[in-house]
Amino acid sequence: MIIEEVIEFLRKIPPFQFLDELTLKNLIGDLSMEFYPKGSIIQYQGGPAPKFIYVIKKGEVKVVIKKENEEVFVDYRGEGDLIGYLLIFGGDRARATVTAIDDTICYLIKRETVQNILNSNPSVREFFHKSFLKRYLDKTFYEIQNKNLVYGGDRILFTMPVGELASKDVIQASQNISIQEAAQIMSDYRISSLILVDEKNTPTGIITDRDLRDKVVAKGRNYSDPVHSIMSYPSVRADVKDYCFEAILKMVKHNVHHLLVMKENKLRGILTNHDLMLIQGTSPLSIVKDIESQNTIDALVPVSKRINNIIGILLSEGAKASITTRIITEINDRLIRRILEIAEDRFGEPPLPYCWIVFGSEGRKEQTFKTDQDNALIYHDPADPGTEDAAKEYFRDFTLFVRDALVKCGFPLCPADFMASNPLWRQPLHIWRKYFINWISTPTADAVLNSITFFDFRAVHGETRLLDWLKEYTLSLAMNSKIFLGYIANLAIKNMPPIGFLKTFVVEKSGEHKDKLNIKVKGLAPLIDIVRLFALEKGMPETSTVERIHALRDKHSIVREYADELLHAFEFMMLLRIQNQYAQMKEGTDINNFINPNKLSNLEKKIAKETFQLISTIQNLIIERYKAMIW
Amino acid sequence: MLDFFKIKRDTPLPFKSETLITESTYVVIDTELTGLNLRKDEIISIGAVKMFGQRIDLGDTFHRLIKPSTAFNPESVIVHGITPSDVREAESIDTILSEFIDFCDDNILLGHCILIDINFINREMKRVLGIELRNAAIDTFHVYEWLRHRQSEDRCFASPPKDASLNEIAHCFGISVRRAHDALMDAFITAQLFQRFIPLLGRFGVVSVGDLCRLGNPKGGDLFRKSGEIANF
Repeated sequence: MIIEEVIEFLRKIPPFQFLDELTLKNLIGDLSMEFYPKGSIIQYQGGPAPKFIYVIKKGEVKVVIKKENEEVFVDYRGEGDLIGYLLIFGGDRARATVTAIDDTICYLIKRETVQNILNSNPSVREFFHKSFLKRYLDKTFYEIQNKNLVYGGDRILFTMPVGELASKDVIQASQNISIQEAAQIMSDYRISSLILVDEKNTPTGIITDRDLRDKVVAKGRNYSDPVHSIMSYPSVRADVKDYCFEAILKMVKHNVHHLLVMKENKLRGILTNHDLMLIQGTSPLSIVKDIESQNTIDALVPVSKRINNIIGILLSEGAKASITTRIITEINDRLIRRILEIAEDRFGEPPLPYCWIVFGSEGRKEQTFKTDQDNALIYHDPADPGTEDAAKEYFRDFTLFVRDALVKCGFPLCPADFMASNPLWRQPLHIWRKYFINWISTPTADAVLNSITFFDFRAVHGETRLLDWLKEYTLSLAMNSKIFLGYIANLAIKNMPPIGFLKTFVVEKSGEHKDKLNIKVKGLAPLIDIVRLFALEKGMPETSTVERIHALRDKHSIVREYADELLHAFEFMMLLRIQNQYAQMKEGTDINNFINPNKLSNLEKKIAKETFQLISTIQNLIIERYKAMIW
Repeated sequence: MLDFFKIKRDTPLPFKSETLITESTYVVIDTELTGLNLRKDEIISIGAVKMFGQRIDLGDTFHRLIKPSTAFNPESVIVHGITPSDVREAESIDTILSEFIDFCDDNILLGHCILIDINFINREMKRVLGIELRNAAIDTFHVYEWLRHRQSEDRCFASPPKDASLNEIAHCFGISVRRAHDALMDAFITAQLFQRFIPLLGRFGVVSVGDLCRLGNPKGGDLFRKSGEIANF
């Protein structure tokens, strides 16, 4: 019973949680337990290195390092934290003084034992070696994936490289043979698709059974025509090392059902939608296909309702949050585009080219379940008053129709009325330019709030060049306006991380969400704001937080140093949020951003703490940079 | 092993009384009995954990169920939860005794009201081996009482337990006590209590094993002597 209790405890604590049952049991073989009354000193800096690694079972300790007669506080550690693990890597003196600040019980594990485990367990070694946040985060995925094994190992999608799934015996033929010869080969080998290559054996296209039916038989085309006249190209490629979910992303993005699987420019196989469906059950692709084939808004409604299920499947397969949100974004973009196409059919050719833009979380490609509409419309500058009036009239009806269609398909109205249906937000290019000039040159608190929403803008449909022009113009304005950046900087530091002394979470003090943490406001928003500020400083056009970090990695001094931490912190917060929302959706409760910190696992709490510390560190760097402009 | 006992059967095992409490090895024991009557009741399980100073060794514990020779007393079944069917497969006390003696080696024994446990174990030892335990023994309840009379203000002593039971005292010291309750678990709880006693004893200058053995003497101890009379103070 005693042993079981210890195992139960260690099973929740990194790195012991990565150990199998047997190793854990063996570990307990020379485990001991010690009690330190409040105020007692567990180890002295400079004293002999303790023979043990301490795992805090209960209580709390303070870690302090003395430097030149000055005590520097390092950390508070509590239940589930370790003391003395750095000594595994050597050293014969304790590096810090550790004092129990509460009655504390520790499990003691011999250093040699930990060393032995280290040698035989790569995951534990990794834990001790990798940078703090990174290693914790990777293990959270592991943890979450294991939680979700109810789905019967479907996470294969995220662990299996395309190369393993793709059919390997790919039949290929020259693109110069005739259609009939190609059909003959397909029938001889009983295959439904044929890869065509050029003289250098590089794949140039593909024909499928459907092509033979639709483009040849149905059209009465001559069988002796060269096969390249009916092939589909350019074919989308995947690398053998890509994971299957990446392949799905590609298929969704390019709306194809076949991928050429390449290894160092040589064709290694072919991957079909069907292959993926087989290992996956339900496919995001099928939903995209359904969206594309609907011709009325009413027919789109039931399809759009299935999107949430897809998210559930992706989560249960252990998808990273960034992947899940990318797939959601891709599907939502498709849906919006289809709605706009239906609207164009209904209202006829627009009098001027236009561009449909989305911003906010949609613009950042960070949508989760419930996303308000955040959209706007830019149209070409009209040449004469007549066109101007026609455009105003056309786009008024057009945007109202789209707004209502989006509501039907599950995108609630934007409470702040940031929608193209609002005349303010459907304007010709030159008016948009004026908006930005105003926001940037005379930044008031309101203007800044407005503009940051818009700075996450992205074109979804139509004449995307309109947005490119606007973006290029406004970004150069913004990056050169110190005052404007100062406002944005103030915004980025305003949201202090919710950690009191890095010890306990500060949660809502009252109201319906008492004792809960608003993960969007306290965790995600500060990260997004910080990264946006950095992107504006460098005039980067990317809008998603992850893409911004990647783009800034080589260009921004702070990002250069903290890119990995930022990515992991963001990924982690998104994952917490999305998992929380999915759980709420399944329970049928209101979907919101509140999480109960007490329900987090030790590991999750730890990463949350790290994340908040990271936010705080970077906010301090920002304050340092913008010193004169911070109020 | 048996020869060893026969030769020195009556001399108590030696221990260095000046050894520090924090540097001595202890075996914390507990037994489950069919009742308290030394003439007719029996041991049905023995549990023990080792301690070095304040450190409890969780990897090296001792726990055995014992097949009783007579019928169970239904009342005690309620207390320890061991039913006749549980011990049907268990071994007899004769086999287990020598394993237990090996486990204890020559270390100091600790227990809550340890005299009862020792009396029962000695009765069996005499019957089977013709000798008694020669280890030094300490009653943690006596240690508790000794401390309680000296620091009634301490929060752990401020609200005295309803009774002298191990669970009640453990509760006062914030030691988590499970409802289920066996000899090993009780030995473990006793060990945790002793962990907490050690620093408290230190405040009164009780740091040597000799002093500890005096005030924790199972046969009475010197409960009410003032701390000033302790040898090394």
